[in-house]
Amino acid sequence: MSTASCPPGELRASPRHPLPTFLLGTLALWAGTTVPSHAVPSYARQTGEECSACHIGAFGPQLTAHGWKFKLNGYAETDGKSGHIPLSAMVVGSWTDTKKDLAEDAGPYQGRNNNAVMQEASVFLAGGLTEHLGTFVQGTYSGIERKFALDNADVRYAQPLEIGGEEAIVGVTFNNNPSITDPFNNLPAWRFPYMASELTPGPIASPILDGGLEQQVGGISLYTLWNDSIFAEIGGYRTFSRSFLENMNVIASDDPLDKISNVSPYWRLGYVKDMHSQSWQIGLFGLAPNMRPDGASGATDNYRDFGVDASYQFLGTREHVFTVNTAYIHESRDLDATYDAGGAQKKSGNVNRFDLSGSYFYDQTWGLTAGLFDIQGSSDNVLYAPEPDAGSRKGNPNTAGYILQADWTPFGKEGSWGSPWANARIGLQYTGYTKFNGASHNYDGNGRDASDNNTVFAFLWTAF
Amino acid sequence: MRTKKSLTELSRLVIALALVAPAVHAADATHGASVFDEECSDCHSVKPDKNKKGPTLFGVVGRPAGSVADFNYSDAMKAGGFTWSPDRLSSYISAPKKTVPGGKMKYDGLANDQARADLIAYLSTLRQ
Repeated sequence: MSTASCPPGELRASPRHPLPTFLLGTLALWAGTTVPSHAVPSYARQTGEECSACHIGAFGPQLTAHGWKFKLNGYAETDGKSGHIPLSAMVVGSWTDTKKDLAEDAGPYQGRNNNAVMQEASVFLAGGLTEHLGTFVQGTYSGIERKFALDNADVRYAQPLEIGGEEAIVGVTFNNNPSITDPFNNLPAWRFPYMASELTPGPIASPILDGGLEQQVGGISLYTLWNDSIFAEIGGYRTFSRSFLENMNVIASDDPLDKISNVSPYWRLGYVKDMHSQSWQIGLFGLAPNMRPDGASGATDNYRDFGVDASYQFLGTREHVFTVNTAYIHESRDLDATYDAGGAQKKSGNVNRFDLSGSYFYDQTWGLTAGLFDIQGSSDNVLYAPEPDAGSRKGNPNTAGYILQADWTPFGKEGSWGSPWANARIGLQYTGYTKFNGASHNYDGNGRDASDNNTVFAFLWTAF
Repeated sequence: MRTKKSLTELSRLVIALALVAPAVHAADATHGASVFDEECSDCHSVKPDKNKKGPTLFGVVGRPAGSVADFNYSDAMKAGGFTWSPDRLSSYISAPKKTVPGGKMKYDGLANDQARADLIAYLSTLRQ
């Protein structure tokens, strides 16, 4: 249950693993996550529209301006007919090849390299339940972990109102992943790459907003899009109870569970401009949880994430489509609790993350996407310790690289075969690392270079 | 003198016509198809009987408002009582909520006169 946002294989701390949450994305937890996705044909059936109306390249999750308005309207807009069943399903098969074999098996049922897997199979409760209430709730069977668990969930109510003489969409969302509410595909939950390998080592750290709380928390946010120009969201998150998370298979009974102390605020503010044939957006966002490692009382680890993001998309007649998405997250943190427990060398530190991606799609079918990612943070020899494949010889989280993807999406357009039931994307992705966990060469203290993690990832992604 | 004055007036007329000429270009249905793709195609189809969040626009020119049989129109559109003439379409597309208050269409309007004329020229070609 990670996000689709990280470089392939970037796996973050999860309560399913006996690791403190402050090691976000830590220690190559192969098979520790699945990649949630947002390709939900039940929305197409509900609206009578093709996938291409709401999605760049006729396949989720990257949204057009029309798509993010559908999301902000609570997933509830329809073609006016009744009887739509808000259910969809998705299956992803993949093959991962890493330049150098891993030191250990990539997953509980996989080998050290060249793994072909049924990566995930998901079912969705996705659609309008009433005129203003809609859902995106995903349950996922991980073919890597071979278990079924609650994945991303976003239930929202939205209504058009008039505020200050101007039209506005006003809504409230209940969800389980900070940034899942992002309509613009800039923030961690929905940024490129939208599908990635889960069987490669991942960077040792990233801001906590970058998937550090996903599925473990529940939050309520109020949001508005006012005058088709000002977007604002404010809400708060609390950690679910251990029993709930165990029942949902999000954590195992012997996993630690780091808990938010009180409520963590989440907010977003931005300006959007939709000109139909093109659109752009710019914004600010933040998350500020105080965490109690494994629920212990006393000192807390305090994270302060602040970010800026922007996007542009040229749609034109939809024959030639270009997009650019970017975000920068700065995290400052005071790890008093972890330091007191001997888990960190320093009490204070920071992690910063920059992502940039650009895509071109021809005829909503043939796609090319290129992305850059750069993680930089303060050093800590205890927090970031040497370990084969996943550790840091230098005690430093700095990681940088690029992702290239080519894909083919044969369906999802008006007149496509089997529309709107048949949907598929076939993709080939390459991830290259110039630096990994603080170094280009022998980054883990065990002789592994950053480029040894370069990965070829092929996938077949279907939804119906 | 008279001839010279007439020529001056004629040249003024030519200049004036040249200045207004861009505003009176003949509608271009081919360009209108592109305008449709850019502005309308997310919510509307031009295939007969294919409704999305908006009704099919096949045969819309000359069609009574609110008359596609299996589309769920707003009460305002049902009560419209008019026919989609080119002028009525142009007015609606430029400012939907002003032309049909209470209508459901979530569109802020197409202000460009030429693009609107081209779009309507294209829609006019969609008939059996």
